Amino acid sequence: MVPTYHSARTLDACLASLRNQNHPDVEVVVVDNGSADATTEIARRHADQVLQWGPERSAQRNHGTARSSGDVVVFIDSDMVLEPHIAAQIEAEFTAHPGVGALVIPERSFGDGFLARCRQLEKHLYVGDPAVESPRAFRRAVIEELGGWDEQLTAAEDWDLADRTRRITAVGRVTAWIWHDEGRIRLRATFAKKRYYGRWIDQYVRMHADSSGSKFARTALLRKPGSLLRHPVLTAGLATLKATEAAGLVLGIRDSRAASSPGGAR
Amino acid sequence: MRILVLNWRDLSHPAAGGAEVYTEQVLRRWARAGHEVTLFASSVDGKPAAEIVDGYRVVRAGNRFTVYREARRWWDRYGRGRFDVVVDETNTVPFLAHEWVDDGARTIALVHQTCEEIWHHNAPPLAAHLGRYRLEPEWLRRLGGAPILAVSDSTRDALARFGARDVTVVPEGYEPPADLPAVAKEDRPTAVFCGRMVSYKRPWDVLRAVELARREIPGLRLWMIGGGPLLDKLRAAAPPGVEFLGRVSERVKHDRMARAHVHLSTSVREGWGLVVTEAAALGTPTIAYDVPGLRDSTRAAGGVVVPPEPQALARWLCELLPARMAEPFAPVPYGGAHGWDDVAATLLTAVELHARTPDRRSHEDQLRGADVPLGPDAGRVPGVAA
Repeated sequence: MVPTYHSARTLDACLASLRNQNHPDVEVVVVDNGSADATTEIARRHADQVLQWGPERSAQRNHGTARSSGDVVVFIDSDMVLEPHIAAQIEAEFTAHPGVGALVIPERSFGDGFLARCRQLEKHLYVGDPAVESPRAFRRAVIEELGGWDEQLTAAEDWDLADRTRRITAVGRVTAWIWHDEGRIRLRATFAKKRYYGRWIDQYVRMHADSSGSKFARTALLRKPGSLLRHPVLTAGLATLKATEAAGLVLGIRDSRAASSPGGAR
Repeated sequence: MRILVLNWRDLSHPAAGGAEVYTEQVLRRWARAGHEVTLFASSVDGKPAAEIVDGYRVVRAGNRFTVYREARRWWDRYGRGRFDVVVDETNTVPFLAHEWVDDGARTIALVHQTCEEIWHHNAPPLAAHLGRYRLEPEWLRRLGGAPILAVSDSTRDALARFGARDVTVVPEGYEPPADLPAVAKEDRPTAVFCGRMVSYKRPWDVLRAVELARREIPGLRLWMIGGGPLLDKLRAAAPPGVEFLGRVSERVKHDRMARAHVHLSTSVREGWGLVVTEAAALGTPTIAYDVPGLRDSTRAAGGVVVPPEPQALARWLCELLPARMAEPFAPVPYGGAHGWDDVAATLLTAVELHARTPDRRSHEDQLRGADVPLGPDAGRVPGVAA
């Protein structure tokens, strides 16, 4: 299940990797949200179904879930490339562990330039941290019991779903990797994106006052100091990147509060 | 038709590559079909300034830097009025024929690949920066005023990014060797890399990927075919399981490529990536980096592309190699490309269809940087059939 919006740069590689799974029975459903670029044209080359739905990612994913038929639903983003044995591993894990209802697929990132390498280091530090990693593969019964993704959230919806999943079932993991295409990371664009997300994060924090602290502290970054010390230049770059993101989030949250408090109405 | 082709090198040049093979295969077929064909290229030691090769005329003058000026000078002295169409075959630096062909002849450009990232591998840092971010965008912007033929979707997309509007994709050609080696696959898991040992082909990435993959497939072996400036350094690193063959004959190359289970390709960028086509024709599938050009040839040849990282290449190699050893990969006809007869005919049709007479006025406007109003007929001279 792949939600898309103006995803032409990365979608072809993503869908080709889904089609190249060595598992014999993979259904590919793309739910686009009115892209004006070549997204749907690329999607039609690979997918079993190409649907249109909105307004945001959560709604697209829920719609795709309802319209798909697989016993297991795996949520993939359009900038991800899957190793060829992920589907087979998912089936093996679910068969071997009947009590496990959802699976985490570890991620690595790749991209052009220095900041992409900084991001690579960051992703490396997160591997195995339950506060950051979210399950992507769900038994159909589990995702239906959960009622799918929270359509009120546009950012942090993956953390929200992860929290709710862990309350009702065990979460396992596979060993194969998802490769996340970061492209060329630009600080200005990163800042703008986080500012946009910040508005939604604020809402998430209010919904999950109990556990949200651990997500923002991102202690995993400091739990493996060896990795950071071994790459001082990348660490400096990563610090810059995280500082930019934090500034964006803070401003976004401020935007959200300003808009919701009566005094903030302009 | 009287056709003039401009290319910075001809096949007799010591550094001739895939683009020169393409030119030679196409031009001899055009000549055989009765067209009057001339190729203008830079001079080569020991080769005459003009000769007939395979039925077409080769004119040589200038070196890799001055060939562009020499082409224009030759046009002024001998060429003007003698051709119906001029093909500007661009290897990074365009001849910009549409800016100086002024006798009513039609022009069209043929682009195999853009240079972009390769600048950093072929030039010192400062020059590379200048080339990639100043010179090439400017050359391609000016070339964008002419109709262009590109040999792959990737090259078309790249040209579009630089502002070209009239780009047509033409096929890449490949003729499988007449005597395909009848050899069985190796018993040991074997990967092969075939290319010049130069930075932009990233041979180090192949070594690293195989080193990583050997943790899961300890018997894995790698054959590195090809010469080049990095060969000695790579050889000195001597990773276990890797054999360097250096530069070998075509026969040895085909034999090794056919015996391996998988072919690996890691270039920064290609126009098409003909080596992938060659491997597929020999019955060996490719795992390649997902980069422009390689992605076109690898997909057409039934191979797999992976994120451009040694770790990713290693992961895919470990997963796909056992299956490849269990079930054979049938040779792909023409390796996913087209026979040369087909290419020559398609290219000629495309030239006839898309070449057009340069519009002097719009070109001068463009040089002044003025915004030219673009209608459907912009760039065409009224009364001249396109």
